[in-house]
Amino acid sequence: MAILRTNQVWLQELRSSGEVRNAAIEDLRGLLIRAASFTFQRTLGDLANYSPEEIHQLAEDCAQDALIAVLENLPSFRGDSKFTTWAYKFAINISLTMARRERWREISLDQMEDRASEFGLLFADKSTADLDRTILHGEIWEIIAEAIRSELTEKQRLVLKLVIFDEVPMDVVVQWMNSNRNAVYKLLHDARRKLKHKMESHGFGIDEIIDAFRASE
Amino acid sequence: MDESKFTQWIQKVMATEEEEISCSECFDLVSEYVDTELAGGEFSGALRQVGHHLNQCRACRDEYELLRDFVIAEENAHDSPGNDSPGSNP
Repeated sequence: MAILRTNQVWLQELRSSGEVRNAAIEDLRGLLIRAASFTFQRTLGDLANYSPEEIHQLAEDCAQDALIAVLENLPSFRGDSKFTTWAYKFAINISLTMARRERWREISLDQMEDRASEFGLLFADKSTADLDRTILHGEIWEIIAEAIRSELTEKQRLVLKLVIFDEVPMDVVVQWMNSNRNAVYKLLHDARRKLKHKMESHGFGIDEIIDAFRASE
Repeated sequence: MDESKFTQWIQKVMATEEEEISCSECFDLVSEYVDTELAGGEFSGALRQVGHHLNQCRACRDEYELLRDFVIAEENAHDSPGNDSPGSNP
């Protein structure tokens, strides 16, 4: 028979003591292990060097870290969602970050910076029927490339290259730069704002951009 | 970057807003966003900002999609007879 708890019961039991609290924690741990295992099932490519037993152990370890995070953050739970949905996100965040970083464990920031593929863009060769569109796309790319070179700070250029052009997961970049996700996202946001303003100063709005590229899809 | 990815990215650039919520703010609200979505509710206020953030941030979007899919999977498992999942029902 399913053991159902309302949000209120979860909070009451996790804030109580003795066997009631222990039982709630064990049930919560089980749910978090399921969430971590689900995450790893979806990211098996990141864990290619791990056996099923090792992946299960990783799920238990991540669930334990998530359990600690849930209990530490319990006072901030406002009841705007199901308690379980709120708790699952900690397990998924920790597990997914772990999986992404595992995949990139052998690669360093220095190695990525040494790559020659700085802001490489591969536009397919178009037929003459697409000549106007090809010229327009080239014009847009030139504006963007010039703005990347002249308008962005060194840090903004670096995270843009790594996250957008090299497709390095943000959590890996965060680790390489000894930073945090908010700070890296802010760098990307500021870079996008500058590039958008540059496009607008050349007369390109979002509608023109969508129209320009819709034709090629 | 190939042309297809550039096409997607340049549209995200042009959809950039002057103010966007941070990844921490998105994490804070994503469980409410998922439950609202699965209940068929409408996004308003801060949840609209979550939707915008998820369109711009691959890291947060990956977590959101996993969370949404896991909640659905758990609800389906809970609805199946003979399970003993200790779920939640507010």
